[in-house]
Amino acid sequence: MSGPDDARDEAREDAGPVAPRGIFDPDLLSACISCGFCLPACPTYSLTQDERSSPRGRISLMRALEEGRLDEDDPTLVEQASFCLGCRACEPVCPAGVQYGALFEQWRDHQWRGRRAPVRARALRAATTVTPAITAAGVLRGAARRTGPADVDKVHLMLGCAERALFPGVSRAVVELLPGAVDVPSGQGCCGALHGHNGDSAEGVRLATALGDRMPGTVLVTAGGCATHLAHVLGRDRVRELSEVHVERWDAAPDAAPALGEVRAGGRRARVGLQDSCHLRNGRGVVRQPRDLVARVADYVELPSAGRCCGSAGTYAMLRPEDSRAVLDVHLDEIEAADLDHLVVVNVVCQRQLVEGLRRRRSRTTVLHLAELLAVALRAGCGPPA
Amino acid sequence: MTPVTRTGLDPVALDTLRGIVGERYVLTSDGDVEVYSRDATPLFRGRPDAVVLPASTAEVSAVLTLATRLGIPVTPRGAGSNLAAATIPEHGGIVLVLTRMNKVLEVSGAELLAVVQAGATTAALSDAAAAQGLLYAPDPGSRTVSTVAGNVAMCAGGLRGLKYGVTRNYVLGLEVVLPTGEVIRTGGRLWKDVAGYDLTRLLTGSEGTLAVITEVTVGLLPLPAASGTGVAYFDHLADAGRAVAQIIADGVLPATLEFLDNRCINAVEDFAGLGLDRAAGALLLFGDDGAADVVARSLERMGTTCAAIGARGVTTARDVAESEALLTARRCSLPALARLAPVTMLEDATVPRPRLAEMVDRIDAIAARHDVVCATFGHAGDGNLHPTIVFDPADGDVRERAEAAFADVFAAAMELGGTITGEHGVGAAKRPYLRARLGDDQLALLRRLKTAFDPAGILNPGKLGS
Ligand SMILES: Cc1cc2nc3c(=O)[nH]c(=O)nc-3n(C[C@H](O)[C@H](O)[C@H](O)COP(=O)(O)OP(=O)(O)OC[C@H]3O[C@@H](n4cnc5c(N)ncnc54)[C@H](O)[C@@H]3O)c2cc1C
Ligand code: SF4
Ligand code: SF4
Repeated sequence: MSGPDDARDEAREDAGPVAPRGIFDPDLLSACISCGFCLPACPTYSLTQDERSSPRGRISLMRALEEGRLDEDDPTLVEQASFCLGCRACEPVCPAGVQYGALFEQWRDHQWRGRRAPVRARALRAATTVTPAITAAGVLRGAARRTGPADVDKVHLMLGCAERALFPGVSRAVVELLPGAVDVPSGQGCCGALHGHNGDSAEGVRLATALGDRMPGTVLVTAGGCATHLAHVLGRDRVRELSEVHVERWDAAPDAAPALGEVRAGGRRARVGLQDSCHLRNGRGVVRQPRDLVARVADYVELPSAGRCCGSAGTYAMLRPEDSRAVLDVHLDEIEAADLDHLVVVNVVCQRQLVEGLRRRRSRTTVLHLAELLAVALRAGCGPPA
Repeated sequence: MTPVTRTGLDPVALDTLRGIVGERYVLTSDGDVEVYSRDATPLFRGRPDAVVLPASTAEVSAVLTLATRLGIPVTPRGAGSNLAAATIPEHGGIVLVLTRMNKVLEVSGAELLAVVQAGATTAALSDAAAAQGLLYAPDPGSRTVSTVAGNVAMCAGGLRGLKYGVTRNYVLGLEVVLPTGEVIRTGGRLWKDVAGYDLTRLLTGSEGTLAVITEVTVGLLPLPAASGTGVAYFDHLADAGRAVAQIIADGVLPATLEFLDNRCINAVEDFAGLGLDRAAGALLLFGDDGAADVVARSLERMGTTCAAIGARGVTTARDVAESEALLTARRCSLPALARLAPVTMLEDATVPRPRLAEMVDRIDAIAARHDVVCATFGHAGDGNLHPTIVFDPADGDVRERAEAAFADVFAAAMELGGTITGEHGVGAAKRPYLRARLGDDQLALLRRLKTAFDPAGILNPGKLGS
């Protein structure tokens, strides 16, 4: 039997980085075996059918960067670091357990460090670091009233810097749903998720830690992306997402659960779909709970793309509006085809994205945060338990 | 034939290419070609000079005409999921990617066939067929990713091979572009057609060296009324091999007989969390489809046979979802093994079915002799084994030991009347072993065939027929 010939040797590469640059955690980077199982899950690959915009292609780019074959100014690297939604849909489908989300943060930390980040990303990073400005926005828009410093016996509701300004009704609905069980500490600030995903993960960790210090104990979060980021820093036990909390509480003590009525529309039980929060689903594995809650109060309709990114993706809709809309269009088509009364979201940026998208299409479907849908059901029922 | 050497592409050629497929679909920057420099095969990489993504047969034809005229190497590529380094452009040139041509063009219940463009995924084809109550039988583990033309070019097998055969048994006709630019159709919509040499079969498994496939017509079957899956655990993989031999000797020809050894069970369980028996030495996944009562009887018979061979436990899936979960888990075996170490090198040795248990024992001995960690899974019903060596390249000369071990595995397979590759193909990875399998006279014929199709030697040079 002949041994490997010369051509073969030429095509072979040496395993392991030649001179690693230390941009990535080597164990995370070497975990990918390029099998391609992640391709069908990736929204940007679905748009292009081009390997460059697939998870596997991006990991190849990260490797070339790490091994010095490409540098950070390479236009493909610049483009793909920005085109990626960071939705992490490639993670749960990866049998090899590649932690794409972590690799992506390391990539952006390097690629977008300091002044290299897109101008708009830098501006957003700066704006959300200033606590008083965020607080003022929330107060003006009438988010849930702050109750002073954190009360150790209660679950602390995190207000979320975008949510309190854009959709103040969400935090009010939460307080209505969990009377007496939550407090809303003042002076909260940003959780740092935005920084983590936009090239400044150190600041992301700092902000999350600071928020955790101001709210000792359990933090209740209404935005999936923030919940996953905070949990990553503070530990999963300390951070609970809205749907998890409700399913757990109501399952543990069905008698203490409030009497929920039906959400109705046009004289019948409402038809309600869901848009998952990517990080909640792909990072934290919360899939069943929000569906379960919607189904308790309305007719739940699973949209084919319910689990796929809607294109809002943190700052993405602001940084890449055209691609964001292309990703969103698939969802809007499905929502219209399903003739929904409401679409439920569990994350603020998804809420904004879908509200605007459906408005542009003059759709009859209205967008509600899960907390808002449940509050409607609560009012329709007998109200909170005695 | 003199191999084409890497020359780079001159600007005029690039402009012509841009004129053919459009500016956006000719990629040449360092970063762009980097992502098309590898496929699913570990340790192989080769940079093309340009990546071209055509949208139609006419564009493919124009690209190939140009390439032949200028002597530019062209490596066709589907999803790049092959495991034989078959899409590595060893001589540079163009990587021709067919993923934009991904439509399912037709599913005909009356004629029991489907027509798809080259880049449609296997899953898209089988979903479209299922929507009309029809079955596209071949189901490689990579079905959600792999393209139909890639399946044809590799003659992919799958989890249903035992009863249904492999891709070759379902290809009725092809539209292909010859390297010289002519568009021909081989076969067609007929189940019977013997006009001329069977070029359809020749092109099936040709690994992108004879022509570029642009459209595929495949045969379909009525979707079976029911299907079911069961699992038997054994202390040793060789016992599972014996159970397979016995099941078939008993006269049952099930759709699926797949096995995993202990390392695979644990890797898959880490990913899928199905509650598999982590302590078992081997798992045999058995499944069948057909009329509900036939399936039930066949599962029961297989379970009884396994128990008689000494299975430590036998269970059957309660419903379709549970069945599907088990099959999905099996499909993930290879990437799941990547959890064990940075490099997973897998092979594809195949032996006559009755020699399966013997081959398993030989693999164990070979792994021990070369001091490598080997996990084995495979399409047991087809005698097709995927011994997979996992290692950390930082660990001294482990890569050489792994390669030496695989050379022994191939030799052992051939001694038992088997082959060096059952379904993953030769590509660049197994080329060194091809002579041992085919002999000089057959290799020479392969070269003459290659020249007849591809006089300029531009198509996937360095692979089959070079
Ligand atoms: C996890 C995993 C599981 C797998 N399971 C199986 C399995 O069960 N059974 C099995 O057989 N294989 C399996 N494979 C291997 C692989 O998926 C198959 O070989 C598949 O057929 C490759 O299809 P592709 O579209 O990815 O082709 P590519 O990898 O892109 O190309 C493969 C070959 O086909 C040629 N080619 C591609 N498109 C064309 C075209 N249009 N015209 C001419 N030539 C073309 C290429 O030049 C190359 O030689 C598995 C792979 C992985 C990663
Ligand atoms: S990220 Fe995972 S699924 Fe994707 S190619 Fe790598 S190993 Fe495969
Ligand atoms: S994070 Fe989302 S967009 Fe980015 S590679 Fe993964 S699946 Fe694709």
